[in-house]
Amino acid sequence: MNQILKFFTLGFIAFSLIGITACQKDDDDMTDPGNEQEVITTVQLEFTPELGGDVLTFVFSDPDGPGGQAPAVDNIELAANTTYEVTVEFIDNSGSTPVFITDEVQEEAEEHLVCYEVTGDLSPLTIKDQDMNGDALGLIATMMTGDAGSGDLTVSLKHEPVKDSATPCSTGETDVEATFQVTVN
Amino acid sequence: MEQGVAVVILYPIYSSMGYLSLQSGFGLLLSLIIGSFHFTHSLSAQSCNLTIKGRVINAETGEPIPYANIIIRSENIGTVSDDQGNYVLTDLCAGDYTVVCSRIDCDHAEHHLSVENGAVLVQDFRLQPNSIELGTVEVTGEAVHLHSISGEDQLNQAEMAGTQGINLGESLEKLPGVNTLKTGSSIAKPVVQGMSGQRILIMNNGVRLEGQQWGLEHAPEIDPFVAEKLTVIKGAGGLRYGADALGGVILVEPKALPTAGGLHGVVNLAGFSQGRTGLASGILETSVGKKLPISARIQGTVKRGGNMRTPDYFLENTGLEEYNYSWALGTKKETWSAELYYSSFFSKLGIFSGAHIGNLTDLQNAIEREEPLQTGDFTYELGRPLQRIAHELFKAKFGLKTGNIGTLSLQYARQFNRRQEFDAHSGYGTPPESLDDPEIEFEVTTHSSEIDWEHKPIGNLRGHIGAQLISQVNTTDRGALIPNYENLTAGVYWIERWRHYPSPFELEGGLRYDIRQMDVGMQGRDSIGQSLDFANFSGALGLIFKQPAWRARLSVGTAWRAPHVNELYSDGVHHGSASFESGNASLTQERALNTSLGFDWQPENRPFRAGLNLYYNQISNYIFLEPSAEPVLTIRGAFPAFEYQQADARIMGLDARASWDLNGQLQWSAQTSLLRGWNRDLEDHLVFMPADRVSTALRYQFGTKEAASNAPFIRLNASQVFRQSRTPAKGDYAPAPPAYLLLDLEAGTTLNLGRQPVELGLSVFNLMNTRYREYLNRFRYFADEIGRNVSLRIKVPF
Repeated sequence: MNQILKFFTLGFIAFSLIGITACQKDDDDMTDPGNEQEVITTVQLEFTPELGGDVLTFVFSDPDGPGGQAPAVDNIELAANTTYEVTVEFIDNSGSTPVFITDEVQEEAEEHLVCYEVTGDLSPLTIKDQDMNGDALGLIATMMTGDAGSGDLTVSLKHEPVKDSATPCSTGETDVEATFQVTVN
Repeated sequence: MEQGVAVVILYPIYSSMGYLSLQSGFGLLLSLIIGSFHFTHSLSAQSCNLTIKGRVINAETGEPIPYANIIIRSENIGTVSDDQGNYVLTDLCAGDYTVVCSRIDCDHAEHHLSVENGAVLVQDFRLQPNSIELGTVEVTGEAVHLHSISGEDQLNQAEMAGTQGINLGESLEKLPGVNTLKTGSSIAKPVVQGMSGQRILIMNNGVRLEGQQWGLEHAPEIDPFVAEKLTVIKGAGGLRYGADALGGVILVEPKALPTAGGLHGVVNLAGFSQGRTGLASGILETSVGKKLPISARIQGTVKRGGNMRTPDYFLENTGLEEYNYSWALGTKKETWSAELYYSSFFSKLGIFSGAHIGNLTDLQNAIEREEPLQTGDFTYELGRPLQRIAHELFKAKFGLKTGNIGTLSLQYARQFNRRQEFDAHSGYGTPPESLDDPEIEFEVTTHSSEIDWEHKPIGNLRGHIGAQLISQVNTTDRGALIPNYENLTAGVYWIERWRHYPSPFELEGGLRYDIRQMDVGMQGRDSIGQSLDFANFSGALGLIFKQPAWRARLSVGTAWRAPHVNELYSDGVHHGSASFESGNASLTQERALNTSLGFDWQPENRPFRAGLNLYYNQISNYIFLEPSAEPVLTIRGAFPAFEYQQADARIMGLDARASWDLNGQLQWSAQTSLLRGWNRDLEDHLVFMPADRVSTALRYQFGTKEAASNAPFIRLNASQVFRQSRTPAKGDYAPAPPAYLLLDLEAGTTLNLGRQPVELGLSVFNLMNTRYREYLNRFRYFADEIGRNVSLRIKVPF
């Protein structure tokens, strides 16, 4: 009996010691993860009529990021038979001050491409700007409207596209894909 | 001499005397299938038809000892005792012989016999179990783990030789009912009877592997070169190891530490044509001291490979680097033993860049392309996207054995796991000084301790009682994929096994109770601040009926699993799969009720072997990702949405294998696995279930008289994988890929350079360079599987 007692006492002590070790916690265990990255929350399109007139601004905005609240999207209304210069801004509005990510896209122009895709009555946009290699960039484009009609305009930002491919807009990783409804009056 | 020769290799046996018979049954079957069984008919003269037979028994307990080697030394003839300890040596000529009986965990015994004409000589052997062997404490325990009754399969050293250099998941794929869930060519998670990840426990040298097994792209952090034996316990039988094992338990077991003096070891070198991969692995071990013998071992593996290649193109950024090492120290006395073990695993894996996508449109473009846009050339260089994984394990174990009470073992282990994932490129606004930092980084630290008491046999009952305590902390340093959390798990178990020799019945049962507490902290900028408690029972009951030529096994087991933190709280776009995944904080426990029925047929002195395993796994509250009706609109475009849900499900299937020794040199074998997974609530198929498959092999062995493991052989294997036509109606982006047939070739021999044996192995995977895609590979949308892979392996034991 004595032996049994000794046997289990030993076992119990060893196990308790182990258990105590196991329960010790490090201090910084539950801290806030760092290295938060900027996210694009807002796509802003500015339409400037070539022959003068008011600058029209339309916004696709999702300040709380994917999930949560659904994005707010402006409807684009344009005048018929007008040529517009279109510029695009990518903005991070999740923090207290807006961060213009367009600057970073511009700096790394070779690694980026903005694509414009249209449906319905709209005619395709023409990209006006180029990167250092002379390939399309897409931060500036022109759009010509025809007679009254409607359609969708999808603006997408491609990261590391293959610009010499036949269809560069179907390559690379898509960082933005924002679709606007367009009405031409 | 023209004689029937039966040489059976003795595969490593760790179990206690007399109790290994069942669990080794499959092992023996495996050894036989692998081709170490020779049988030639005697064409000799009349005088050479004499017989020696008898029984091998445990000198201490009187129980029969199966799988002992009985050898006639002068004649180079041998056999092995059967389940009942019986052996027969036939076709002997008259004469005087020295017959030696031995087993790895017993002292050997010798008898000098005179065999005369017309007589059948009966000679029994009484073997003394040797208690010097290190690891016996563990070993005795292992006998009562409900292995046999739940149905288990093993890869022994001979079979593992053919898998050296490939990862753990792929090594296990040789076993029926085991598949892998892959991400590209280098990440493979084992799937046992349709279940993987959190539903499988992996025991790495007796310690439950606590890495970050929740992700589909998280492979087990284990160097397969550490293991001498890989065992898969299917179904809910692994009560000893923990809750959660709804699908099964994988045991990765290293060789026992050496007890003999001198410096010994193994050097392994291998080269693969795929990725121009090279690897070197070595073991050095020794034992010193007489009064207090200290055994030591160091082991290390270095592996490096570059871009893999499909039959048509290179897969960009699919190289890998792996650096692993481990050491062990142990001592063993008559009544106690102690062991320290440390292992470090580090791997750096390139993730196929063609699979990196930003949104659903990119994914659809990739699927439509059929071939990746950029195929690139061969390079060893690893670029982004990238994973860097480090895993450390430290273990201390102490065993105490007394005649009166039984065996007590105590174990403490600490594991540290760090996972870093690097996206294809840094995010916007990353300051230049942190451009080389990972986008995702988690650290998991786990302390686990356990106590196990194997009581002294009470009548015909042998059993274990034990407890485990696991405490775990996860810190998410970068990224907000999963929250920080702390886990505390405590469990107690009791397992008993009844066997009354010579009753053909054997009964085993066990019960386990676990509690788990989880505290969840910050996830990104949000504080979840929840505390969750789970507690429940697991249990198993099994019955075996044994006859000389066959045995049947019926088992019923139940296991449960607490929902994992990713199932509860994950929230966001999963870029690899272009889906928006939402956790569900109201998930409850999952419970499986597993019934399995097995038959093994091994007729004596006949060249046939067969085994069949049927299982039916009913799972209530099965956690799965259910596709939502509405996609989630984000600034990256619309993503299909998935939410973790629970439903009643069932997985049932059949694993079977057979072999036929055609003439002692040529051997045919076949195996098949069929599986059906069904969501009973949605009345739909379960996702990621392995397709039906069947394989058959022919193996030819040159020469008949050499020891089986040395004989040169060549083996051709054909595997047919059918198309998975049973996929969920919603939620997949492309239909399951078509069926495929693969041919593999394997050859091996042992050269003796002086007294130094050198084992050589050549294998060709996908011999015909077949172009195919596998349903269980998450990168099947983007690229084909890798093509022909020729490998050459050299193993030098010394």
